[in-house]
Amino acid sequence: MIVETSGLTKRYGSHTALDGVDLAVTQGSVFGLVGPNGAGKTTLLGILSGLRRPTAGDVHITVPRRRMALLPDTPQFDPWLTGAEVVGLARTLVAPRVPRQRIDEVLSDAGLAEAANRRVGGYSRGMLQRLGLAATVIGEPDLLLLDEPASALDPAGRREVLDLIAHLRGQATVILSSHILGDVQEVCDAVGVMRAGRLIFQGALADLLVGRAVPAYRVHLRAPVEPAADALRAEDWVTSVGVTGADSLRVGVRALAEAELRLPGALAAAGARVISLAPLAPDLEDVYLELTA
Amino acid sequence: MSLWRLEWLRLVRTRRLVAILSIYLFFGLTGPLSARYLSAILGRVGPQGVKIELPPPVPADGVTQFVSNASQIGLLVVILVAASALAFDARREMAVFVRTRVDSVREILVPAFTVNAAAAVAGLVVGSLAAWYETAVLLGGLPPGRMLVGIAFGGLYLVFAVATVAAVAAVVRGVLAAAGIAVTVLLVLAVVGNIGSVGRWLPTSLVGALDALVRNADPVDYLPAAAVAVAGTAALVWFAAAVGARREL
Repeated sequence: MIVETSGLTKRYGSHTALDGVDLAVTQGSVFGLVGPNGAGKTTLLGILSGLRRPTAGDVHITVPRRRMALLPDTPQFDPWLTGAEVVGLARTLVAPRVPRQRIDEVLSDAGLAEAANRRVGGYSRGMLQRLGLAATVIGEPDLLLLDEPASALDPAGRREVLDLIAHLRGQATVILSSHILGDVQEVCDAVGVMRAGRLIFQGALADLLVGRAVPAYRVHLRAPVEPAADALRAEDWVTSVGVTGADSLRVGVRALAEAELRLPGALAAAGARVISLAPLAPDLEDVYLELTA
Repeated sequence: MSLWRLEWLRLVRTRRLVAILSIYLFFGLTGPLSARYLSAILGRVGPQGVKIELPPPVPADGVTQFVSNASQIGLLVVILVAASALAFDARREMAVFVRTRVDSVREILVPAFTVNAAAAVAGLVVGSLAAWYETAVLLGGLPPGRMLVGIAFGGLYLVFAVATVAAVAAVVRGVLAAAGIAVTVLLVLAVVGNIGSVGRWLPTSLVGALDALVRNADPVDYLPAAAVAVAGTAALVWFAAAVGARREL
């Protein structure tokens, strides 16, 4: 394990931000940290990066501080610095032996080649996030702590960040905190779910999804959908029916195999005009909502 | 690009170095002017029929005006500029960026303190040289040795003032709070310096050293204050590093 915590607790007066967190992150993995606002994700990353001290418990990190890098959720820099100077400063502080041309390379990879010599005071929020990422990877750290790395980016930027994170798998360990569960589901090997300062689940993403996902179908119909919904609710193999839009239903079933046999017939009997129907893949969002409810 | 260059760029690109040099240069040039022409100025602006007679100005008067203005407004500018650099945790995200890339807060503090103290001393030197030149032209020559020693004592006081800002900024997070408390501390020291013989030991007595020395005060009288300023500076910077290391972001 590259990161292990034992009984990690952080209190601010009467408020407990972290409550006995036992975290274990495998070297070379991409670990996703998810949880609602105030769950303690940023506090946990702050303690791992050395910016905060725990009230109780132990933290064991096998890499030295200079081989770690933290990217906060809203990177900001002195506005009179240029992008190249920010990355250059990061290089000097953590990896002075890295060749200078690497500065231009990471800025280019971050899509900031043309803005490299502009002052960061004129950067957009997305550009600042890219710059923060460039300054994070310049040192080729062994452990990256990324707090909402894609939150301010447009879809293309998010894709690039996710590709970068996926590319790092095996070369470095990444602990990534994100609200975008689809991103976590896409790039992470393991997940930690936090709520109210507690780590209520950690483990392989597959374990989380397989063990908890409720079988269900997404059904698209011509409106109105209510007659079909009422008919399905009467079926004993249907566990739940939710109207998710003017023309769609989420139908919870006892088993997917049973629904394959009986759902089309039930919809036809109800006179529904079916546009499409498909089983819902285990979704992190569903599991997350269930765990954090 | 290093933390030293970062502090240099902060002074230059934000025009703060220009501000420090300008304010001291301004007082260096206007101090002797006002000393030389004070009678005439008062005669012009005073009430009609009232004649104000002042003793003829001597060269030391040129320095007095400079020291008086520089020790107030100049010092305030120095403290504000220093606070903007030394209260580095006030800019949280930039502080996170730097703090997570150094082994100790001393690596951030030492360049910030040194560069800003050097800028303050440079301002004082520029202003003092301007006052020296202007006084020589308008009022007469000043003793070079005493001028240099006086400038050195004044510079030492500014270094102590910047160290005070560093110590306060380690305790309070905001720039204005750090500047305000530092000014208050130095003011209190100045007031306490008027009590008995305590003043000769306090660094605040170095503020008036240049003026006193060109009026034939003994430089040895300022050695206790200078020693305390040196020791105090070291202690304050050490305190700033120790307390700053414990701060959480």
